[in-house]
Amino acid sequence: MKKASKIFTALMFLFLFAPLVILLVFSFNEARSLSVFSGFSLKWYRELFRDTETLKAVRNTLVLAVCAAGVSTVMGTAAAVGIHRMRSKYLRSALDMVTNIPMINPDIITGISMMLMFVFASRLLGLANSLSFITLLIAHITFCLPYVILQVLPKLRQMDASLPEAAMDLGCTPWGAFWKVELPEIMPAIVTGLIMAFTLSLDDFVISYFTTGTGFQTLPIRIYNMTKKTVTPDMYALATIIFFVILALLLLSNLTDSEDSQKLRAARRAKRAASGRPPMDPRRRRILYACGGSLAVIAVVAAVVFAVTETDNKPQVLNVYNWGEYISDGSEGSMDVVKEFAAWYEEEYGRPVQVNYETFASNEDMYAKLSKNAISYDVIIPSDYMIARMIDEDMLLPLDFDNIPNYQYVDEDFRGLYYDPEDMYSVPYAYGIVGVIYNANVVDEADTGGWDLMWNEKYAGQVLQFNNSRDAFGTAMYRAGIDVNTTDRSQWDLALESLLEQRRSGVVRSYVMDEVYNMMESGEGAIAAYYAGDYFTMLDAQAEGVDLRFYYPERTNFYIDAMCIPSCCQNKELAEIFINYMLSKEPAIANAEYTYYASPNRLVYEDPDYIEEMGEEAMAILYPDWGDFAEKYNTYAYRNLDNDLLDYINSLWETLKIN
Amino acid sequence: MTKKKTRSSLVTGLAGGPYEVWAVLFILVPLAFVAYYAFTDNDFRFTTANIVRFFTDTSPAAGGEGTMVRTYLVISWRSIKLAVISTAVCLLLGYPLAYIISRSSPRAQKTMMTLIMIPMWMNFLIRTYAWMTILQDTGILNNLLAKLGLGRIHIIGTETAVIIGMVYDYLPYMILPIYSIMAKMDFKLIEAARDLGCAPAGVLRRVILPLSMPGVVNGITMVLIPSISTFYISQKLGDGMFFLLGDAIEGQYVANNLHFAAAIAFILMVALLAAMAAMRYFTDRHTYGGQ
Repeated sequence: MKKASKIFTALMFLFLFAPLVILLVFSFNEARSLSVFSGFSLKWYRELFRDTETLKAVRNTLVLAVCAAGVSTVMGTAAAVGIHRMRSKYLRSALDMVTNIPMINPDIITGISMMLMFVFASRLLGLANSLSFITLLIAHITFCLPYVILQVLPKLRQMDASLPEAAMDLGCTPWGAFWKVELPEIMPAIVTGLIMAFTLSLDDFVISYFTTGTGFQTLPIRIYNMTKKTVTPDMYALATIIFFVILALLLLSNLTDSEDSQKLRAARRAKRAASGRPPMDPRRRRILYACGGSLAVIAVVAAVVFAVTETDNKPQVLNVYNWGEYISDGSEGSMDVVKEFAAWYEEEYGRPVQVNYETFASNEDMYAKLSKNAISYDVIIPSDYMIARMIDEDMLLPLDFDNIPNYQYVDEDFRGLYYDPEDMYSVPYAYGIVGVIYNANVVDEADTGGWDLMWNEKYAGQVLQFNNSRDAFGTAMYRAGIDVNTTDRSQWDLALESLLEQRRSGVVRSYVMDEVYNMMESGEGAIAAYYAGDYFTMLDAQAEGVDLRFYYPERTNFYIDAMCIPSCCQNKELAEIFINYMLSKEPAIANAEYTYYASPNRLVYEDPDYIEEMGEEAMAILYPDWGDFAEKYNTYAYRNLDNDLLDYINSLWETLKIN
Repeated sequence: MTKKKTRSSLVTGLAGGPYEVWAVLFILVPLAFVAYYAFTDNDFRFTTANIVRFFTDTSPAAGGEGTMVRTYLVISWRSIKLAVISTAVCLLLGYPLAYIISRSSPRAQKTMMTLIMIPMWMNFLIRTYAWMTILQDTGILNNLLAKLGLGRIHIIGTETAVIIGMVYDYLPYMILPIYSIMAKMDFKLIEAARDLGCAPAGVLRRVILPLSMPGVVNGITMVLIPSISTFYISQKLGDGMFFLLGDAIEGQYVANNLHFAAAIAFILMVALLAAMAAMRYFTDRHTYGGQ
């Protein structure tokens, strides 16, 4: 029995720690992969400490957790005392019930409900953007509060009610009785509540996702937004560091509790007694610890709040909103474009500028937030069809091209396209074509060439399909020769039939976005449709025995991502200066090399160093000779669809997913 | 005596005040907004169409030609099924572990409880990502099985993988409340039952289980709620093959269908509140002394 329970405990801890061990090991991996260990390296730790955006996200997460835990602990303890002494039974049970709501409500509902309220309230008050650090903090305090209250309340109920009464009979004020008698008694519960609140706030993603605003992205959100590209291993390094920090803290706290320190304390007491001073009352000592503890917390909160407000005092702020992992960020010796811009600007204009660079996971995600006036940014980089939609809804400002002289380097092919026919609102950033990536060690060369490969039952269980409706339907529609922008619902039904067939026959292994990297690199999947540039990222990290190749089917998606200024922009000229900077040679080349996406900028694709760096194969794939670009683009690019049709497609997508 | 009472109630009023205001403003009002959005259309006119849509939307079924199923009921059913299984597994694993821990030395108790908390400090998105690489076909688990000559198994993308992910992420939420009750449990009662000739199974059923019931109820609540509404775990470990209630709400939010997203949230909320109220009512009557 004893042995069985030991084995069981060991197995449980193995289960709990297995993923952490994986993270630890692969944080030292030379390659980007989380499945193939190619050699020991400290590279990702260096990357982590250089990655200012991630470090900022870590700081934000800590600031938030400290503030939320601090406020909710103080308010929750007070609330528990209040509830405990409440004499009206009905009021007490009503408050008990309300307290339970955030715990019984799934976090997605808490998040959505608060977002709805904040958006509504700010519309009422006429505020520019409804979501901010304050709303995020309010949301976190709200979901932490019940945990504190439910820790403290039972402790209060257990306590002998006559103790504070006795203190007051002996002349203590009610406040003094609480401070000297009750508080030390409930202190352990308060500390547990504080730790729980801190932990919950630190780990929360869902509620933050719905309630965070401009200028305050937390780590979980940053990680989630890496979903189009890939989660970078410096995150594993970060997890490993957090692990060791906690371990060290635990060891430290265990040490202070060990027999040695108890002996030490006994010795100190003896010394105190010998010097004639009375021994310290243990209760008083606890109060001292409690006070010291709360002082420390308050100090940290104050320092942290100061740090936050300090950054807000900078004279000029530029808020940039882009896809995750879509700018050269200084990793692996590349140029840190955001940082360089700030330095260049200060030198050029003699004024400092603070750039808040934040990320989104998809066009729709960005639109959902911007359209509700929930957030405000100065520069955004959406895709073509979303630009068309935003122009339609008056969400973009016309650009002043006098401030963007580098626009002259944008190729003529990228002017006057459907989404911005008069070239008033957008400056192309990158473009590409969707193609098919396959593992040549599994797939017969003879089967390649068209979209049929993704429906080929010979490769059942090895095909990776897009996990977003527009791109997934796109593959089926290009295959069948259907116009991807058709408003004819029966055509969309046909595409659904095709996707259902692909799924039911067992050809599809997974619906993926960023997971595609790991799966293709490790040989887990053999066939996938994805963006051309990303093929080269995978190629760099392919495992032994995997031979990735790439081709374009005849009909396929062309897309352009372009820089725009949304109507909520606070500093248009600064935004235009940033756009112009992004078009200048060095940053443009750095971005093109980092993302592996094709650049519409002549300064990039005509640059000999860039051409050499990319290599012949990459140049051929990224910049194919397509004859009339505008014609192909206007035929195959996604267009904006109306709301009813989008809703219909969404329901088709759900149908596919529940089968 | 009376004077003292008034003084202490003044303190009480001051202490509970901020929270009462907070609770109304940030717990009750947002819920009212969910209801408001759920019962209005895009122009904020009253409608029940969103609620009706949840129960009536249909899509073609996998089986035969022409058969239709109710989309959101199918999604709900799958969510409930996975959440209930995960909760049961958490209970089956967490309960004995909490018991074992509560019977160890105080030092070991402290160490083991902190060990259980540690994974919660790692970001859960990253933890889930790590599970993906453990479970995939060319992953660590399968490589290990192959080396041991046991053959490979396909887990990733199955309901099993999603359940493993949920159990992993939410197990501490089951262990913590059960342990905190068990640690306070008077073990003399167990000894007494044994001395009086009770068999081990009887001790468990008649003494330990009833005493720890409040912890079990809390644990079940804390695991069931997040697992019924998760969307990240199902996306990553389910290979995007499943669509759960959380995915549906998030999908509608991203598609800018706020009113329908609110309707799904509203229905889920009402169902959960009802289920929890029923569970508390039931267990309060069947535990000794209740709460």
